[in-house]
Amino acid sequence: MKRIIAVDISGRHRHNSRYLMVCAAVSLSVSGGHVKQIHGVNIKPFVSDNPPEVVDVVQMIERTVEGMGGVIIVAEEGDLFNQPEWLSNSMFTASFKYPESLSERMGVEIAHHISLSSRNLLLDPRSWEPIKDNL
Amino acid sequence: MKDVILVQRRIPRCSESQNQRKFAELRELARAGNYNVVSEVIQTRYPDRQYQIGKGKAEEVAELALSQKPAKIIFYNPLSVTQVYNLSEMCKCEVIDKFQLILEIFASRATTRRSRMQVELARLEYELPRARKIVSLLKMEERPGFMGLGGYEDSYEQDVKKRISRIKKELSTGQRDSENLRGYRHSKGFSLLSLAGYTNAGKSTLFRSLVDENVEVENMLFTTLSPTTRYLNINGRWTLLTDTVGFIEDLPHFLVDAFRSTLEDVFRADIILLVVDISEPVDVIRKKLAVSHEIFWERLEKATIISAINKADRLSSEELSSRLRSIAYLAPNPVVVSAKTGEGLDELKDIIHSHLPEWKRFTLELPMSGESMSAVSWLFEEGIVHSINYGNTVVMDVEARNEVYHKARSLEKRLSFR
Repeated sequence: MKRIIAVDISGRHRHNSRYLMVCAAVSLSVSGGHVKQIHGVNIKPFVSDNPPEVVDVVQMIERTVEGMGGVIIVAEEGDLFNQPEWLSNSMFTASFKYPESLSERMGVEIAHHISLSSRNLLLDPRSWEPIKDNL
Repeated sequence: MKDVILVQRRIPRCSESQNQRKFAELRELARAGNYNVVSEVIQTRYPDRQYQIGKGKAEEVAELALSQKPAKIIFYNPLSVTQVYNLSEMCKCEVIDKFQLILEIFASRATTRRSRMQVELARLEYELPRARKIVSLLKMEERPGFMGLGGYEDSYEQDVKKRISRIKKELSTGQRDSENLRGYRHSKGFSLLSLAGYTNAGKSTLFRSLVDENVEVENMLFTTLSPTTRYLNINGRWTLLTDTVGFIEDLPHFLVDAFRSTLEDVFRADIILLVVDISEPVDVIRKKLAVSHEIFWERLEKATIISAINKADRLSSEELSSRLRSIAYLAPNPVVVSAKTGEGLDELKDIIHSHLPEWKRFTLELPMSGESMSAVSWLFEEGIVHSINYGNTVVMDVEARNEVYHKARSLEKRLSFR
């Protein structure tokens, strides 16, 4: 059993001349083939006028995982511009790796869906639907 | 055995051990393709448009080729059509890259019509984006005119496309047949086991030592490329064990797609035995396991993975436990075995048994009659009979899959009402 924090960032494309990004971090206990337990989720929105660079991505991830305990951060290679793993690892203060096992990939997939859906929610604040009294 | 020269262009600032491992894989592939390696050339630089390696190095390879007269020069790096043309013009020798070598190996092992079609499809898909360029390079000195340059290029590409669509159509009808066969096997109560792992992990040895222990071995051998399937008795449960073609690192997508049916046996299995060669360096094991996980990702259908940690006899117990600790996060349900000495095979069977689709254990009471006797023999065939008592009635303790359980219960009701 291993503790990891799976991270994913959504919205790294221009939207109304700005970059509205949401970073989601999921703390999990995993074995080789399965996710055993989800300990917690952190979500943090970021906004920028310019496209994010590697340093920005590293900063966003570190800000999101703050307070989640000292475990390994796992994020997809594409999120860090397909840099070699040793280079990405050296840019983080915590230890960092790309997903390898099925469970780590599953963790990143969970983080992806969380960040995507929360970004959609944030982009449309008027989506609060009143519950109608049907009685 | 034909002689070959191996060439690898290494990327600057890339780790040395990784480069060596990639080169070792090329060496193994060359051996699998029945080639004898006479020379090895390595250069570290960024790719060259004309020759892939630097021009000076290419001239060096040409000199080597002149003196050693190899049948082929094999590059680790993928080559463009122009690069192949330039290099073969310079070296006066056939130049191929790793993918073509893999295609050659598969082609030499393909014996059934279906596997031959798959190899042909992979070759055509590899050739399609290059077809126009190949023709234009070959016809470089010809002048356009009636049936000139443009005509040739287009017609050859069209021809390749037509052949691809024809083969795909034929393969899709074949696909349905094997899917039916799998459904039939499932409905007959067989659980499907598959061996997966890298070429040299000891898959086939494990396969042999698992099935050879069985007295009642029924040989259902297909051909070399098609998976080999045999009956395997796991503590009373009948299963079908399939040995598959090993994984190759960085297998390109056009090859993965073409060999889908080989891998499909792995994806559709109930249990996958992922064979790991523990005697290799830890970082190599990690890398290979990671690639295996990548192959399984999003393709598995509810399969359980059991890691068979093979070649344990080559390591001391301390070394073995430290290595197991470092790969634990990539090896689900690990079992230490030695396919060669037969160590750990019983434990492996136990763990397979505990992960097989669940069977129901129930007690059945049937009246003494001819019809009951045929029901008893049917249950002996379909399930495991733990005990049977013949008195005024026949009382059986049986373990069987769900459908059999329901059938048996309704049979019991019908017979006892008579």
